[in-house]
Amino acid sequence: MTPILEFSNVDAFYGKIHALQNVSFTVKEGEITALLGSNGAGKSTILKAISGLVQVRSGTIRFMGEVIHQKLPHDIVSQGIIQVPEGRRIFGSMTVLENLELGGFTQRKDHRFLKQTLELIFTLFPRLKERAKQKAGTLSGGEQQMVAIGRALMGKPKLLMLDEPSMGLAPIVVKDIMKIISQINQQGTTVLLVEQNARAALKLAHTGYVVETGEITLSGSTEQLSQDHNIIHAYLA
Amino acid sequence: MDIFLQQVINALVVGTFYGLIALGYSMVYGIIRLLNFAHGDLFMLGAFAGFSVLSLFTGQVGFIGIGLALIVSVLVVGLIGLGVERIAYRPLIKKKSPKLNLLITAVGVSLAIEYAVMLSYGPSFRVYPIQLPNTGFHIGDVKITYIQLGIILFTILIMIFLQLFIHKSIYGKAMRSIAIDDTATSLMGIPVHRFIGLTFFMGSGLAAVAGVMDGIYYGQINFLMGFLFGLKAFTAAVIGGIGSVNGAMLGGLVLGIVETLGTVYVGGEWKDVFAFGILILFLVLKPTGLLGEAVNERV
Ligand SMILES: Nc1ncnc2c1ncn2[C@@H]1O[C@H](COP(=O)(O)OP(=O)(O)O)[C@@H](O)[C@H]1O
Ligand SMILES: [Mg+2]
Repeated sequence: MTPILEFSNVDAFYGKIHALQNVSFTVKEGEITALLGSNGAGKSTILKAISGLVQVRSGTIRFMGEVIHQKLPHDIVSQGIIQVPEGRRIFGSMTVLENLELGGFTQRKDHRFLKQTLELIFTLFPRLKERAKQKAGTLSGGEQQMVAIGRALMGKPKLLMLDEPSMGLAPIVVKDIMKIISQINQQGTTVLLVEQNARAALKLAHTGYVVETGEITLSGSTEQLSQDHNIIHAYLA
Repeated sequence: MDIFLQQVINALVVGTFYGLIALGYSMVYGIIRLLNFAHGDLFMLGAFAGFSVLSLFTGQVGFIGIGLALIVSVLVVGLIGLGVERIAYRPLIKKKSPKLNLLITAVGVSLAIEYAVMLSYGPSFRVYPIQLPNTGFHIGDVKITYIQLGIILFTILIMIFLQLFIHKSIYGKAMRSIAIDDTATSLMGIPVHRFIGLTFFMGSGLAAVAGVMDGIYYGQINFLMGFLFGLKAFTAAVIGGIGSVNGAMLGGLVLGIVETLGTVYVGGEWKDVFAFGILILFLVLKPTGLLGEAVNERV
């Protein structure tokens, strides 16, 4: 089976900074794939390249067989690739409900889908239902992450990409969020998860890649990676 | 007291003009942090577009004529505003040029529009080709003409529509989210540039409405009329809190009243001093204006 996402030999730059060097990896349909690595490794840049926010200098990115790396961000979203960006980036001065509605922009004609998904989000995150009319910026960090994830679900993702969803959250909240991500995946959405928190990510994911200074240095099933001495030493110890 | 109230009515009319123009300033600033100093000239263009339409009528011009003048003016000026964004501003924004380059470009656009109109319509004042009766009604000793009433009611209608659009429709929400975080908005699948274009179209169209109403109200127009009005509208936008839609209209009304009362009680030659005096006061003491939130941090 061909993978849903193929990231092949990609190079990307910020000015003179060579942020991605010949990076290749794939995401299999139905799986959770984790990208691990420390701060500054290039993980976010990989997601930005997929979303069309960073230009690819060479290499190709294919989604469901189609080349996507020359498309505009909003077209890429329309194809079903949706990113929950690092730091959540919710619209703080708008209400929780407005945030979710904006997430559903590409599905705005499909009222039934929006209504069902809103209900699904409110069952996944009952707290958001209570706070639907509240300004999103007044919520706690964990709740804001829930808004960000819910907002992404409203866009009907085929591939859901999450950039460090655990960042800045208390361990107990991280656990909740990870559980939800796993649930979303079990309901059929393919997930690409970027994490510095390797322990949490490896528990959840099927396949993992380690990114270091713009290159992929290790890959394998999460069972293999969890046993790997280098990983244990660098990320789990 | 009656002189005072009479002046307030007059001030409200001027204030709606300032407010309608200020809306465009504010909406554009809100969404791309650009002070479009050519915006006053779009108001002037609106007046001339209306002039051309009304000139086609011979004899009495009724509501149909005014309606047609408004529609054509909004469409023409809206499209020109859209074109200005595409041709003049977007390439600079894409290159992430410094703000100063954008301001200089705006001045260039302003001069280009002014002198294109001068070449087409001539440098002197033109009489607006419509005569509406100066009738009205009295409340006590205060006279309100039907033209004044019409201008105020029409502006209220526009504001209601704008509120509904911005707060209830998904497209208005998208404009607001772009103002907060354009990158995050693009990650919602929202075509950010198309919405920036829409903002320019709407802002320009609102200025065009003010232009036509100004022509009808004052009866004469000139290719330089947008300069001072543009600066006044900018003042109104700052008073109200630049970026805020309600603030723009409130700022317009406040400015109209301050200016008119200054004229009555201090003297007409002081009018502009009052207007720009309060601009400076606000910039120094309360740059966020009456209704503006602290400018949203861009991530
Ligand atoms: N906007 C930017 N401009 C310049 N350099 C950047 C920018 N964003 C990231 N970088 C650099 O690119 C490298 C990879 O960053 P990033 O992909 O954000 O890493 P990670 O997400 O793994 O922490 C880092 O060296 C970082 O400093
Ligand atoms: Mg990152």
